[in-house]
Amino acid sequence: MSGPGPERTSGPQPPGNPDRLYILTGGQERPAATPQLDLVTLIVSRAESDTGLAPELAAVVRICDFPLSVAEISAYLELPVSTLTPLLTELLSEGKVEARPPVPAAALPDVQLLEAVMHGLQKL
Amino acid sequence: MVGSGSSAPGRPASALIWLFSPLLTGVCAVAAVLSVTPAARAPVAWCGAAATVAVALAAAEAARRGRAIATLRRRHAEREAALQYRLDQHDAETWRFARDVLPEAIKLMRHGAPTDQVLRVTLPAHDLEPGFAAAHRSVVRGVIEAIQAEEALRDVAHRAFVNIARRMQAIVHQQAYDIRDMEHKHGNNPDVFGDLLHLDHGNALTGRLADSIAVLGGSRPGRQWRTEIPLYNVLRGAMSRILEYRRVDLHSVADVAVVGPAVEPVIHALAELLDNATRYSPPQTRVHLTAVDIQSGIAVEIEDAGVGLTDEARRRTDRVLSKEGGLDLDDLGESPRLGLAVVSRLAAAHNFLVSLRPSAYGGVRAVLVIPPDLITASRFPGGDIARAPKLPPAKKKRRPGSIPAQPSSTSPLIDSPVPPPLGDSGLPQRRRRRGPAPMPFGRAAAAERQRAAARGPAERRPPAPSAEREEEQPVQPGLWLSAFTSGINGELPEQDGRPISDISSDKKE
Repeated sequence: MSGPGPERTSGPQPPGNPDRLYILTGGQERPAATPQLDLVTLIVSRAESDTGLAPELAAVVRICDFPLSVAEISAYLELPVSTLTPLLTELLSEGKVEARPPVPAAALPDVQLLEAVMHGLQKL
Repeated sequence: MVGSGSSAPGRPASALIWLFSPLLTGVCAVAAVLSVTPAARAPVAWCGAAATVAVALAAAEAARRGRAIATLRRRHAEREAALQYRLDQHDAETWRFARDVLPEAIKLMRHGAPTDQVLRVTLPAHDLEPGFAAAHRSVVRGVIEAIQAEEALRDVAHRAFVNIARRMQAIVHQQAYDIRDMEHKHGNNPDVFGDLLHLDHGNALTGRLADSIAVLGGSRPGRQWRTEIPLYNVLRGAMSRILEYRRVDLHSVADVAVVGPAVEPVIHALAELLDNATRYSPPQTRVHLTAVDIQSGIAVEIEDAGVGLTDEARRRTDRVLSKEGGLDLDDLGESPRLGLAVVSRLAAAHNFLVSLRPSAYGGVRAVLVIPPDLITASRFPGGDIARAPKLPPAKKKRRPGSIPAQPSSTSPLIDSPVPPPLGDSGLPQRRRRRGPAPMPFGRAAAAERQRAAARGPAERRPPAPSAEREEEQPVQPGLWLSAFTSGINGELPEQDGRPISDISSDKKE
């Protein structure tokens, strides 16, 4: 009754698996922005990933044995930051990861140089 | 009839009886002639003779009529016997028609046999007169045509169902795809992102309805998955398609995967069962979802703390679940039965075992057993990440201090000619650094540009090798600024599509 024809033409196939993003955050469709997490906050895991965790949480714990910024985790896992934030908050509250403020810019270049960069970029 | 039977052999006797009356009259007349006075003998003899003749005539007539009646009776009996025989034959044929022929014909029709073949099968068994046989055939033909018309109507209805559902599914898939893109695009904006998730959820619900219509129309649900999907993700996929997914608690899940063709049916059947569970339980209660290994496959249990099934409801659900035949339009009458009808169709098509039983919590415990031939080993123990086709080589990362020296100054990519930096930009030209630099990503590009500046203009080289190179290097977070400063004497490295570009641009803000 339904040949393979309509199957093929039923639009682009979404990649990956049947999960939707709103499932990951446990139903928080509007995750409250936690002040302590922003894009450059470094996350480092405090525990080994165990099997009881959801795959995303386990992956975060696994790849964060080395400090990674939130933005990097987001890019690696291909999860939007807004999805990642509640997950990280959950991990933080369980003590499985630790959030560190970004590395302070100890050797910050002087303002003149930055301005020069800015002007140079604008000229491009 | 009995009289006619006895009359045939008694015919000489009746002839004798016929002779008896005139003889008796004649004897009486002779006796009367002899007994009267001689003077009266002549008239008496005349009268006696006349009476005897009259009686003889009457008797002869009676005998003739009797014979005629006997003949008529015999003929009538023969005719009646013939009619009775025909009646019996017709009775038998009608019985056969009702009991065997029509069901057989309908069965043949259901299997798509052509009309002629069905008519041949339903030929009368006995030799009937042509009129009756013709009437019989015309009845069969009429029934066949009625059935065909009905089947055609049903087929058209199914096709229309499926067609509409397919179109809806196509739209829903396209929309899901678009929403995914938008979710990626607006991932940093919580407000927009939340709205997108809301839309995504609504879209998933629409898709489930379209899938249900497709299944009830006799088609497959949704998209086809090429590879196996971990059961964990399958269960989450089922959760994502119901309205109140927040109330579902996903507990322990067996570490297996569902083979590609069975993924969508499992998801859909589970979504319908989960929808039932959440719909018929109080909103503050939780619904528990587990999947355990059993001897005959994987048992997925959905347990709610709702009102439970009354006996009547349970009989009804059992009836719906056990119905394997075609679409019963009664099932579409009420929306609560829609889900179970869909589950029953999917279960029949894929050999799932579905049962609804009272739960210890008082609610319903729905168990769906996935047969072992639809189960395979999981490539992603514990489940796959929602949308990560690849993970970073996490274990290759090292602490910032332990970065090995990279042979970047001798790497082949710098040997190739590259476009000159902007010499007239007025920016300070930095000297090329020697030795290992802490930043792999910007440094390679900077060195490339330095070398190019020394070499002078040449044709532009595509940045792909440098991008590949950066791919291999671990990214050192937090040190992007030095990389950036090391690269500012030239143009920015092209980093299309690299996650790191997002990061650095994010950090600049």
